[in-house]
Order: sequence, then C-alpha cells, then structure tokens
Amino acid sequence: MTKRIVIPVGPQHPALKEPASFDVTLKGERVADILVKVGYNHRGIEKGCEGRPYLHCVYLLERVCGICSHSHSTCFIQAVEELANVKIPEKASYIRALFGELERIHSHLLWLGVAAHEIGFDTLLMYSWRDREVVMDLLALLAGNRVNYTVNVIGGVRKDVTEEEKGQILKAVDILEERTKYYVRVATEEVSFIERLSKVGYISYEDALRLGAVGPTGRASGIKRDVRKDDPYAAYEEIDFDIITDDHCDVYGRAVVRVKELLQSYSIIRQLIKKLPQTPLSVNVPKNIPAGEAVSRYEAPRGEDIHYVKSNGTDKPDRVKLRAPTLANVQAVAKMLENGNFADVPIVVAAIDPCFSCTDRMIVAANDVLSEKENRMTWKQLREFSINWYKKNKGVDFSKIKKSDKHI
Amino acid sequence: MHATDIALQIKNKYSSSVVGINVQRERRLWLELVAGDFRKCFERLIKEDGFEILVTITGLDTGEKYEVIYHMSDKEGRVLNIKISIDRDNPAVSTITDLFPAAELSERELMDLLGIKVEGLPEGRRYPLPDNWPQGQYPLRKDWDPSVLDKKIEKSGDKND
Amino acid sequence: MKIVDRIVNWARLKSPWVIHFNTGACNACDIEIVASITPTYDLERFGSLLKGTPRHADVLLCSGPVTRQLKDRLVRIYEQMPEPKFVVAVGTCACSGGVFNGCYSMLSGIDEAIPVSMYIPGCPASPDAIIDGVVKLLKEYEKSLKDKK
Repeated sequence: MTKRIVIPVGPQHPALKEPASFDVTLKGERVADILVKVGYNHRGIEKGCEGRPYLHCVYLLERVCGICSHSHSTCFIQAVEELANVKIPEKASYIRALFGELERIHSHLLWLGVAAHEIGFDTLLMYSWRDREVVMDLLALLAGNRVNYTVNVIGGVRKDVTEEEKGQILKAVDILEERTKYYVRVATEEVSFIERLSKVGYISYEDALRLGAVGPTGRASGIKRDVRKDDPYAAYEEIDFDIITDDHCDVYGRAVVRVKELLQSYSIIRQLIKKLPQTPLSVNVPKNIPAGEAVSRYEAPRGEDIHYVKSNGTDKPDRVKLRAPTLANVQAVAKMLENGNFADVPIVVAAIDPCFSCTDRMIVAANDVLSEKENRMTWKQLREFSINWYKKNKGVDFSKIKKSDKHI
Repeated sequence: MHATDIALQIKNKYSSSVVGINVQRERRLWLELVAGDFRKCFERLIKEDGFEILVTITGLDTGEKYEVIYHMSDKEGRVLNIKISIDRDNPAVSTITDLFPAAELSERELMDLLGIKVEGLPEGRRYPLPDNWPQGQYPLRKDWDPSVLDKKIEKSGDKND
Repeated sequence: MKIVDRIVNWARLKSPWVIHFNTGACNACDIEIVASITPTYDLERFGSLLKGTPRHADVLLCSGPVTRQLKDRLVRIYEQMPEPKFVVAVGTCACSGGVFNGCYSMLSGIDEAIPVSMYIPGCPASPDAIIDGVVKLLKEYEKSLKDKK
C-alpha cells in the first residue's frame, strides 16, 4: 500500500474565480480520489422567492448567476407564463432568443479565455476577452446594462430592437464571426493547444450519459441533446441550426464544440434579425397567478437549465426550484479526473465551464479506482535510487546520512 | 406517439399504483404514484417506457404533507414529473443513486433543506448549507422560522478548509 | 520619514497588488473585475496586478454579500494580508446585501465581516467604476500619507 497525499484546493484559489473546494487525494502524480465541495455560494434564493411577488422574483433569479442571467429569468418566466396561460407576442419570443444567443456568445468567449488561461495561453485569454467586449457593448446598447440586462417582463419583453440597433448587431456579428474563424483555426491547427488538451479529462459517451452530463460537456462526448431542438422555446422552432457534437470526449472536444457553437449563434442571430416580426412587445398578465405547477427548460450556455414553479393563486410563488447545468456536470468532473494528472485539475474543472453560484451544492464522489500499473516510486525507493545514482555517477556515498522521518 | 397516448398507456400499465395522471401539454406529463410502489414503478418507467434521463428532484412542503417530484425526460424531450406524497412525521424516501449517480446532490438537498430522510444514501458531507448550520433547522419547511438562526449559529467547527 | 519608508510608499502607490475573492456573488461582478484587467479597460496600466495569494496583496476586491459558509474564510484571508491593507466592496450586494437582502444563508454586505475602505455600487459594478474606485482609493491613501508628514 503506497502512501496517499490529500491536497486541498480552494475555496480561495488563483485558478478558480469562484469559491469551491476540492480535496484531491494523490497517488504519486495521479489523482486517486476527489472530493468536490461546493455550496459556498448558497444564498437561499429558492426560499427568498417564496416571500417575493413574481416580478421581484425575476430580478432575484436573474442574479442567480451573472453570466447566464437571461437564462434563469427566461426559464422562470416561461414557467409563470405557462401557469397564467399566457401566450407571449411573437416579437417578444424573437427578442428573448436574440438575447439568449448574445449571452451564449459572451459566455463561450469568456470560457475560451478562462480555459486558455488555465493552460498558460494568456495571449488567447486577452484576445478572446477583447473580442468579448464587442458583445458586451452590444448588450449595453440594447438593454442598458452590460451583465444583468433584465429584458424580460412577465408576458413579454420590455425593450424593442430598432432598425439602427439591428444594423449595429449585424455589424458586430460580422466582426465576431471573423474573429471566431481565427479561433477555429487556433483550435484545429495550433499544435500546442491540441497537444495540451487532447486526452485530458476523458469521459466516454456511456459515462457521460450515466452521470447526466448536459450542454457542451455532454455534446463533446457525442450526446446529441439540446433543449432548443428537443423542447423548443422562444423562437427556436422557426430557426434553422444544427446541434454541434464532437467525439473527442476530452477537453479538446469541449473547446471545439464551444467554438463551433459560436458560429451557430451568429447564424441564429442573423436569422432572428431578418425574421423579426412586427407585433406588440408584451401582453398583460394578472398579478395573481392561478394555482398550478409548471416545469420549464432552457438551454443555457452551460447546458440545460430547469425551473419548477408552484403557484397558489396569490401574487407570490409557493415554491421555486431551479437546477443549474453545473449541478448536472459536476458529477462528471470526478469521473474525468479519475487517474488524471494533478496538474490537469484546473483545466478539467474549467472545461465544464463551472458556475458555482448557480449550483450552490456539494457532492461526494468516491472514485477509488486506480489502475494497478504503478507509475510512481515510494519515498524509500526514490531515496535508494538517488543513492545508487550518486554512487555510480559521482562516486559519492550518501547512504550514511541519517534518514529523516519527517518526509511525507 | 402523442402525450395523451403515453398517459393512457402508463395508466393502464401501472393502474394499481397510479393516483392520477395529467397531460399539461404535449411535452409535460404529471404522474402521481402511491409512495409505497414508487421504486417498483420507477425502475420500469426507466427501462420500459423510455424516461431514462433524470433531470432533477424537487422537494416541497404543501403544509399538510411533503411532496417529492422526480422530473424525468425521454429522448424526444418529453418531461414526466413523477410525484409522491409523504407524511410529515418521519418523512423518508428511498435513494435512486444506484440507478442515477447524479441524483446524489438532489437527494442531499432534500435532506438538508426539507429534512426528508433518504434511505440508502451513503454517508457524506452535508450540502448546500454551511457547516455550522444548527441541527434540525430546515429552511424550506413552511413552518420554519428564520429568526432562530442567529441565536443558534456558533462558530464554524470545520477547520479543514 | 525615512528614505526606506518613502520608497516603500512610492512602490505601494504605483503598484498596488490586488486579490479577488468571490464572497457569494452571482459572478457578474467577478467577470467585470476580470474584464477590467483585460485589454479594453486594462487596469494593469496603473501598475496593479491580480495576484493569487492574499500574502502578496495590498487590495482585497470582494464581490458578493458574504454567505454564512464563507464568512470565516473571508476573515482568514483578510488576516493573512500584510498591513497596510485595503478592502474594496465591489457591487451593490457587497455594499449592502442588495437584491439578496432577507435570504437566510447570507449576511448583508462585506462590512459585517471585515472593515471596508471603499464601496463601489452597481449591479454589477462596471469595469470603469471598478477602475475609478481603485484609483480613488490610491489617491486617498496618498493624501493620508502626506497628512501624516
């Protein structure tokens, strides 16, 4: 039995911007066991919703996660609209989809930068974050705020897209498309990028399915699932796009899926702008929502987002439950890291694009399966090896030196 | 196959265990099962009826009872919401982590936020509440009083992280 | 003032090292903090550098209302920082709890856990506001040094 070392990573850690802690048990350089602990961001939002009117809940739920703020508010509002039996005007559904895609672009560019940073490719971080500012400016122009834009109201949207804004969106999309083609080249031709990410964080199709991986994480393992196609919402039924999948099953595959999804998003935005109908922006929804239950799904940039809303006939919800995509993916991380290199921990964790402020939970994953082929030395073996090496090559005998018990 | 056909099929197949089944719209089905038969029917629903993807588990407090809803999905994007009711005194459900390892988080959430015991779930660190959270306080219960919190929270005992 | 102190103060003013800690924020302020160090805004032109460990940092940028789980960790990080240290609360919820006020698992603002030198409101605080806040903080510190003399 070889000695195992437990290395705690986090909650404050330079590689992860959000608080999450990992107790990584090492056997040599290899990860034998990983204990993920999240929940540092638990704020009690689900309970908070119970005491707030529906409209206030929209603002609160938008702040579940700043990166996918539109996802959570749309998902919640879809459920409320289903309970109130309201059909939103066509234009509102187009604008919701438009913001959804803009959000996906900003999130994927953000991810590309963070992932590049984790592998020490800081040039790409600076490039992709510079390009991301194009989308951020666009969002600020359209909604008035860079991050929490709150375009949704119950029954529609609050803001129209003018002709002038349409032109600016299309211009920005052209710039971004050109830049993204460059990233596609980086992802497919840059040898150091491919070599660093290939075979890292491998998860097979079967395992990804069993552990319930969603979004780009699942799609990179060949799971062809996308709520925009499976259970269309907003205007996605009238839009033509493909589900991007990849069969690499590793971090490289996840990068390829995300970069290709960016190109899909540009095409979706162009179609949305072209087809944008002329209808009112919203319909009135009564303050008191009839009693009932509804489940709403939304394809957030990270994967499937689910909201369950139970109403009781008053202006406040009885129960709101949400499941963010990271919660579904965090189980897969433990599997991906199994028997991997310790140095790969940050990039593998970053590769699912974790968002712990959405997740707010913790798991215990016991993956105590390390293959028998040992590629490590015990301290004693290492010591003997070095003594022999010095004796043979330098003619010095260190075996007389007293052995310290303090090591490891 | 339409949702109404599926609903009819499920109703006939599990007639003795079904309390009610309701089609909200094409992709939303609500099924209420007798709590005791849940496990038996659940396994068959996964294997025979194609609802093989676990989306999430919701626990809620209706005032008189607790309810647990298992949101399942099939490949066509249909969501089957399987609901069971449990009594307020000594609430417990059995684990489904043997079928879906990903359910562990949601089940721990049931334990922490609602105080529903999950039988068969292996020991583990608590989630999502803080380590110094007082025992026996379940925030999602309707009769929970948040004002007890500040009096009861002591200094965190977790020295590891 | 000794010449050594003057050099130290000069270095501190011209190159404040920053550590960022998410105390339960929604990520919005965090991405804006990162955005402020990337090319478009470039906080680094003021000599500041984002560091990974509190022991190297002069300024602690906190975002978020402080969850109960993180309170002790925040205090520990604050205590690890060398003197003189500054804490900047980024975002409305770091200043006062903001939209999360009343949720059971959090405090209302950074100042309930540690002393705060500068508040930057906004939901989220935009990168310009963050840069403005840090620059103002340095100016105030410079003024206080002059007054001491």
